[in-house]
Amino acid sequence: MRLHALTLRNFRGVAERTVRLPSIGTTVVVGDNEVGKSSLVEAFGLIFDLPDDSKSTRIRDIQPVGQDVAPEVTAELTLGGRELIYTKRWLKNRSTELTVVESDGRRTSWTGREAHNEAERLFHEHVDPVLWQTLMVSQGQSLVLPTPADAEPLITAVTAESGTPVDGASMPLVSAVEHEYLRYWTRGGRATGDFARSEKTVTAAELTAAQALKAMEEVQQDIRRAERLTLDLADVDSRLSDQLTAVEEVRERKQATDEILLRRDSVRSRAETARARLENHTRTRVERERLLDEVERFTKTDAELTERRADADVVAKAAAETVQAAEAALADVIELKDLRRSDVQDAERRVSELVDRAELERLLDQQTELADVRARIAAAGTILDRIKVDDATVAALEDARAAVVEARAALAVGVPEVVVRRLGAEPVELSASGVDGRVPAELGFDETAELLVSGELVVGVPGQVEVVVRAGGEAATLRSRVDDAVRVEKELLKKAGVKDVAAARELLRKADTATAELHEARRTERSLTANGDPGERIAVLTARLGDPEETEESGGKPAAVEGVPGQMSLFEEFASPLDTLFDDFEVPEPEQGDLAGAQRLLDQARAELAAVERMLTDAEFAVAQSRKAAEEDRSEAQQARARAELAGERLAAALETLETARGLLDDDAVSSAESEATAEVEAVLAELTGVQAQVDAAGADQVAGELADALAVAGRLQSERDGLRDALRTTEGRLEQSGRDGLATRRDLADLELAAVRAEHERLQRRAEAARRVYETLGRHRAEAQTKYSEPLQSRIEALGRGVYGPSFRVRLDDDLAVAERELDGVRLPVEALSTGAQEQLAIITRLAISHLVSTGDGSVPVIFDDALGWSDKARLRDMGALLGRAGDHGQIIILTCMPDRYEYVPKATFIKLDG
Amino acid sequence: MEDSITFLHSSDWQLGMMRRFLGPDGQARWGQGRLDAVARIGAVATESNAAFVVVTGDVFEHNQVERQTILRACEALKRIPVPVVLLPGNHDALEPGSLWTSSQWQAHAPAHVTVVTDTAPFEVVPGVEIVGAPWRSRRPLSDPAAPGYADLQPAPAGTTRILLVHGQLTSLSGGMSDVPTIDQTALEAAVTDGRVHYVGLGDRHSTTRVTDRIWFSGTQEVTTPEETDPGNVLKVTIGSGITVEPVRVGAWHMVDHKVELYDEESLTALEDWFAELPDKERTYVRLAGDGSLPLPLLSRLDALIDAQGEVFASVERWTKFWTVRPAPDAADLDALQLSGPARAAMEELRQALAGGDEAAGAALSLMHRLARDAG
Repeated sequence: MRLHALTLRNFRGVAERTVRLPSIGTTVVVGDNEVGKSSLVEAFGLIFDLPDDSKSTRIRDIQPVGQDVAPEVTAELTLGGRELIYTKRWLKNRSTELTVVESDGRRTSWTGREAHNEAERLFHEHVDPVLWQTLMVSQGQSLVLPTPADAEPLITAVTAESGTPVDGASMPLVSAVEHEYLRYWTRGGRATGDFARSEKTVTAAELTAAQALKAMEEVQQDIRRAERLTLDLADVDSRLSDQLTAVEEVRERKQATDEILLRRDSVRSRAETARARLENHTRTRVERERLLDEVERFTKTDAELTERRADADVVAKAAAETVQAAEAALADVIELKDLRRSDVQDAERRVSELVDRAELERLLDQQTELADVRARIAAAGTILDRIKVDDATVAALEDARAAVVEARAALAVGVPEVVVRRLGAEPVELSASGVDGRVPAELGFDETAELLVSGELVVGVPGQVEVVVRAGGEAATLRSRVDDAVRVEKELLKKAGVKDVAAARELLRKADTATAELHEARRTERSLTANGDPGERIAVLTARLGDPEETEESGGKPAAVEGVPGQMSLFEEFASPLDTLFDDFEVPEPEQGDLAGAQRLLDQARAELAAVERMLTDAEFAVAQSRKAAEEDRSEAQQARARAELAGERLAAALETLETARGLLDDDAVSSAESEATAEVEAVLAELTGVQAQVDAAGADQVAGELADALAVAGRLQSERDGLRDALRTTEGRLEQSGRDGLATRRDLADLELAAVRAEHERLQRRAEAARRVYETLGRHRAEAQTKYSEPLQSRIEALGRGVYGPSFRVRLDDDLAVAERELDGVRLPVEALSTGAQEQLAIITRLAISHLVSTGDGSVPVIFDDALGWSDKARLRDMGALLGRAGDHGQIIILTCMPDRYEYVPKATFIKLDG
Repeated sequence: MEDSITFLHSSDWQLGMMRRFLGPDGQARWGQGRLDAVARIGAVATESNAAFVVVTGDVFEHNQVERQTILRACEALKRIPVPVVLLPGNHDALEPGSLWTSSQWQAHAPAHVTVVTDTAPFEVVPGVEIVGAPWRSRRPLSDPAAPGYADLQPAPAGTTRILLVHGQLTSLSGGMSDVPTIDQTALEAAVTDGRVHYVGLGDRHSTTRVTDRIWFSGTQEVTTPEETDPGNVLKVTIGSGITVEPVRVGAWHMVDHKVELYDEESLTALEDWFAELPDKERTYVRLAGDGSLPLPLLSRLDALIDAQGEVFASVERWTKFWTVRPAPDAADLDALQLSGPARAAMEELRQALAGGDEAAGAALSLMHRLARDAG
């Protein structure tokens, strides 16, 4: 199809406009918004779709608003080699006119509905609706990638190119096959619909049939069981009646043999009596023999025991004597032990005395020394008491002395020093007051008195001269100071009781010496009285020792151990190794005051005591032993006595019993009675043997057992029969019930139902399998074919795309021949992942490729873009422009746009400008 | 003819039997048909002045049939106006739990009906003594007929004695029977020496003469296509001699039909065969087929069988003997004007079928039909 011209009248905003289009090449129709570019496409659609009397809202929509005018469209086009001029007016003055000019120039015209029908027919004959929809891109659709698989011209084209036959007519078959397949299967391949249901029905019917069969099998088993039970019952019945006959036979036989048995019982009872009598006699005889034997035995025992009693008495007596001897020996040893103990005590006393004495002596010495020491203490105390000087006193004295000297020196300086010398014989008298130093009353010859006059010195040679020296006022003060100092010193000296400082110092030294001595003496005293006052101890010791003289005498006579003759004789009976002790026994006389000797004697005495104590233990043991032995012997003797008495009594009793028995029946009579009884028993037994032989011959003993056995068997058979009868009745009852239930009919019905649903299922299964087989086979072949015929379109798209994207551009198509993936520089992306611009470009490229593919056939249609490339950048616009321009070489490309600059790179494009 | 006696001999009524090939509707009608045939026996008895009717075994299909079957059987028996003697056979043996001893039977059995429960001879009508050998188990251990005549003395003068037995004859069973068979020689001896005058046999569904006096009556209504002469009752007249006449009472047909199908003509022949059969609604056809048909003819065959299945009681392909294959030739496929993948797919299926893939045949037929309908 080629579109040559479109004329619109009263169409939306357009009063009248004709657009002529070149039949080949790229045409860009430029116009601002609302001038009616899109109306061109719309008008083309309407003229073919709607008859002139259409009441469609689509028609109402195109009538200019508020104008009662008739919209009209005229299209001039080429369709299948014919030229068509097609005009249609709607709403008012409706009309349709079609003029067709054949290729040979013949012209045919139609009007009205015929014109519409003819135009529609021609359009549908030559324009594939899918292709038309694919290549006419209305506003806002430029991004949508085309899916052209069902576009026949495309299929035809790719078929021609690929050499693979693609039959468009097979499409109905494909959907029929699919429809058939989906009757039985889901797309996932699971059974569905009636087919799936029949499968379930079969399962249910199988279950029902199995249950019915099982119920019927149980019936069969019951029948078999009942048959078996009936047979068994008949068998048991016949055996039972046989058995009862047998029982009767045995019973008759028994009656016959019962008489013999009765006789045997009688003989047997007589035999029992005879045997009892015999036993009685035998018992009597045995008793007699026992009595005789007892008497004999008891007599012998009695004699033995009497003898044994005498022996025991002797032994007991001897034991008692031994005890007495042992006890005597023990007494002796006790006595000896007392002696030895007093020896030890004496020795201890002696040792004690010696020790005390030694201590007393030492204490006396100590006491003397103590007295001495105490005298020294007293002396020292006296000295110390007398001395009133101490370190402080001496220091005060020294200070006082210094003050005196100092005062005197000051006085000497301050007062006149008067030297008076007697030169002649004349006495010189001196008197003074307030003169330091001694003022001699007279001076001897050549005697000089040097005086410091602080007061008044009167030197006179009697009669001749008197010189009075007086000291001035200053001197008086100095003088009084000296006097004070001297007075102080004197008071101190007086208080100290010394003459001067030196004496005081001497006293102080003496006091120190005395103090030292006192200390030493006190220390000595302390050491001496450390253990208390020796005097007390001395008093104690003295008291203990008594008169020292007497003590010495008593200590000098220690108790001597004398021989103990009685003891010796006592021990003679006991041959003891200790005997030697007495042989060497000797008590040495201790030396006076020999403490060591006394100690040795004590040790010796103690050793002897220990030896005697050991002897005592032995003696005590001997006594205990002998007492125990004596006790035993005595008890033995008592027992022997008791036993002898008992034996005597028993013997007497036995003799009495024997005599009594003999009184009743003497020994010979006993014997003969037993013999008679024996004979009787033998006779009866012989008779019994005879009867028993008869019994055995008749089998009488067995008959009773046989009867019991037969009865037992009959009883067992009877209960067996009863059991079988019960079982049979039970089974028959069950069968009666199952007969009422019509189980066989049920089973047959279930089988019937199962067979029916199975047949139905198998029929469906065959159909389903066939449908699947066809579906899969056809699907496989379609897929293979599509793969093949997608190649031409793919290579065309890639050829075009390489002009824009370069040599690495590739696409992959899906089964519907739509672009599924784009590959660029080795990167594959699904189309959805591409940018909007790239998607738009790819959509345009695909459409151009389709257009190119179908351009050679009759089915080609114009490619119409209502505004596109809105998403592409400048560089891409240039490339896409070149592509759109080249596409015009093969067909009619119509671009509607309000942005002409987008298409300025389209070479050889025809631009048509629409004005408002 | 003053001293002759006429009676009817039937057997193997098999009431309660199910035939799966009939379908639910066919089953119901056929079941009723078997009862109708019993009623017709009553009519025959009236027409032929029969003194009584004997049924030699398998009156019921099973001892455990449903109550409805028993009650309807009793109703049908009431339609027979003369005494009826029933012999328990292998299907309704007098075993424990037997139908004959059930309260259902005993409560509803018509008074003129006698069930043979032992081998003691009894008089059914004056001058006629009947002795039977009822089955006591469906697995007897020995000749099931022998107890019937073993202890018999020759019949008293003036008494006609009829022996009723059930089972296969050694001579007819072909040695395949898994239960003991009837010793024919001994049976014939019993007839020869006058112990019995007629032996009514049951178990074989086809009317069969063994000797003049030993007959299988056959079933009153056909049960399988294999039966050669079913659907009769025997009218037996014993006087100085004996006459036995089969009288048809059955209304159903069961037919095996074998066809060879290879072209349109043979298919047309089959269509004609169907058209000519009588009593279609009471006829079961079991088709054995061999050969191969082009796809369009195969579709026609399918349609034919489908349609006849509605007309007849039932039409079945005998699976065991059905080997009709599609034979698609290139012309068939070309006629469909298929090309491209569809043509290739069909070609693949055709080759698979030629290679012995049976399933491909069905697929091919389906695809053929779809393509034809879609085109």
